[in-house]
Amino acid sequence: MIEVKGLTKRYGDRLAVDHLSFTAKPGEVLGLLGPNGAGKTTTMRMLTGYLPPTEGSASIAGYDILEDSMEARRRVGYLPERVPLYPDMTVRGYVTFWARLRGIRSPRKHVNAALERVHLMDRQNQLVRNLSKGLRQRLGLAQALVHNPAVIILDEPTIGIDPQQVIEVRESVRALGKEHTVLFSTHILSEAEHVCDRVLIINKGRVIAQGKPADLRRQMEPKTQLYVVVGGASGKAARQLLSAIPGVLAVERDGDGYSLTVEGDRDLRGEVSSHVMQAGYTLLEIRQATTSLEDIFLEIVGKSR
Amino acid sequence: MNTLTIFRREVEQYFTTPFAWLIAAAVLLLTGLLFNQNLSQAARGATIVDPAFIPSVFSFALVFFAPLLTMRLLAEERREGTMELLLTSPVDEGSIVLGKFLGAWFYFTLLLALTLVYQIILLSISQPDIGHSLCAYIGIWLYGGATLAVGTLFSALTENQIVSAFLSMIALMLLWLGDSVGQVIANLEVARFVRTLTLQGHYSTSFAAGLFRGEDVAFYAGIIVVLLFLTMRLVASNRWR
Ligand SMILES: Nc1ncnc2c1ncn2[C@@H]1O[C@H](COP(=O)(O)OP(=O)(O)O)[C@@H](O)[C@H]1O
Ligand SMILES: [Mg+2]
Repeated sequence: MIEVKGLTKRYGDRLAVDHLSFTAKPGEVLGLLGPNGAGKTTTMRMLTGYLPPTEGSASIAGYDILEDSMEARRRVGYLPERVPLYPDMTVRGYVTFWARLRGIRSPRKHVNAALERVHLMDRQNQLVRNLSKGLRQRLGLAQALVHNPAVIILDEPTIGIDPQQVIEVRESVRALGKEHTVLFSTHILSEAEHVCDRVLIINKGRVIAQGKPADLRRQMEPKTQLYVVVGGASGKAARQLLSAIPGVLAVERDGDGYSLTVEGDRDLRGEVSSHVMQAGYTLLEIRQATTSLEDIFLEIVGKSR
Repeated sequence: MNTLTIFRREVEQYFTTPFAWLIAAAVLLLTGLLFNQNLSQAARGATIVDPAFIPSVFSFALVFFAPLLTMRLLAEERREGTMELLLTSPVDEGSIVLGKFLGAWFYFTLLLALTLVYQIILLSISQPDIGHSLCAYIGIWLYGGATLAVGTLFSALTENQIVSAFLSMIALMLLWLGDSVGQVIANLEVARFVRTLTLQGHYSTSFAAGLFRGEDVAFYAGIIVVLLFLTMRLVASNRWR
C-alpha cells in the first residue's frame, strides 16, 4: 500500500514533482507514465527514502516515509533506473547481501525463492560482471523482491534491454502485482497498458490523467479523424462544404487536403463523399486516419505543456 | 548486524579481487627486502636490528598503501549506483561507513600479521626485545587505522577512485611531512605542537621507541572517530545531491 499526499520536490528553483497525490493498493500494479524529465525517478526516490521531499507526505504500508523511515524502508523493494551492481560478487552472493541488509537473518530460502522467480538459479555461482544486460535486469529484480516486501518500486526496468527480455521483465512485473503493491515507471504508453492495472500519466511533475488503461484509452481517444482531398473546389468553397456536413466538428487544412474531426466514433466516409459529389466536385482521396496510442499520449503530454 | 553484513562483503571483496592481492604482495616484498638488508647490515655488525623495524617501514609505506586499500570503499558504491540502494535499505549511514572502514582495517591487520614472519625469523637468530616489538606493532596498527580513516573520508568525497586515492595520498603525505617539519622547527613549543598534530608524531618517538602511552592511543582513536563521523556526514549528503 502506497499513499502519497501533496508530494513535492524542488531542486533549487526547478519544480521536479508538483503536489503529487495518489494511492496504490495491494495486488495492484500502478504505472507512472510520463516522458523523460516528468519526475518519475524523483517521485520514486522520495518514496524509497533516498531523497527527502520538499513538501507533502507519503506512507509505505502505513509507515510514514519521514517519521518511520526505517520501518517504511524495510517494506520496500527498489530497482533504480540504472541497475546497481557489485560486479565482483556472485549472483547468489549479491542477492544474499541485499537480503541480509533488509533484515533477513538466514536468507537462504528467501534467496532461493528470488532466484527461482527471476530464473537465475542456474547462474547462481556466476560472477555478476559476466551477466548480459537482460540478466542483470533480472538480478536487479531479484534483489528488489528477495525480502518479500509489501511494496515494490521499479524505475523503468525495461530500458535498454532486448525485446525478448523486455517481454520477460513485463511478465515478471505482472506476476509480482498479484501479491505486492507495485509501482512501475515507464515512458512507453503501450508498456503501461500491458503491465499496469492503473496508470497515472504525469508530466512536469503533475498528474495529467489517470485511470485503468482501457478507460484512459477511451477518455483520451480523440474524435475520429478523416482525411479528405477535394478536386475542383477553391479552398474556401471546400472548407465551407466540408464543415457543413453534419457530424463534422472541425476542418483543418492539411497538405493538399483537409483533416476533419468527426463527432464520436461515427464513420462519415459515405456522407462526406456524397456531399462532395452533390456539390459537383470530385473526391480525390478519403481515408480514416488512425491515431496510435503513442500519438494520443504525445498529444496530451503536449497539451499540458 | 548491518555493520557486520557490510564488513563481510568488504572483506570478501579484498580476497576476491586481484588488486588487493597485489597490494599484499607489494607490502610483503617491500618489507621483506628492507628487512633482509637490515639483517645483513646487522650481521656485519654495522647496526643492531631495530625491534620496531618492520612497523616503521609501514609508517611510511602506509602513505601509499592506505589510499590504495580504501579508494574503492565509498567511491565505487557511488559510481555503480549501489549507494542509492544502500541508502534506501533499512541501514543507517553509520553502519555503512563503519562496516567498510572495519573491513579495510581488518585486511590491513592481516597484512600486518603476515609480517610477523620476520619477527619469528628474528627470534630464531637473536634475542630481540619482544616487548618493544609488540609495542611498535600495536602503534602501527593504530597508526594504520588512522591512515585508513583518512582514505575512507576521501573515498566518500568523490566517485572517482583515482582522484580519491590521489587526494588521500596528498593528505597523508602532508601529515607525514608535518612530522619532519616539526622535527626541524627551532621554536620548541611550536615544534611540539606541530608534532602532536601529525600521525607520525604519535608513533615515531613513542610506540617505535617501545613507549606505550595512553595519549597516543587516544590520539589515533580520536582521529578515527572524527574522520569516520565526517565520512558519515558526507555519505548522508548523497541524499541532498
Ligand atoms: N539531482 C537533480 N538536480 C537537479 N535537477 C534534477 C535532479 N534530478 C532530476 N532533476 C530534474 O528534475 C526533473 C525530473 O527528473 P526525473 O525525476 O529524473 O524525471 P524522469 O525520471 O521522469 O525522467 C527533470 O527536469 C530533471 O532535470
Ligand atoms: Mg527517470
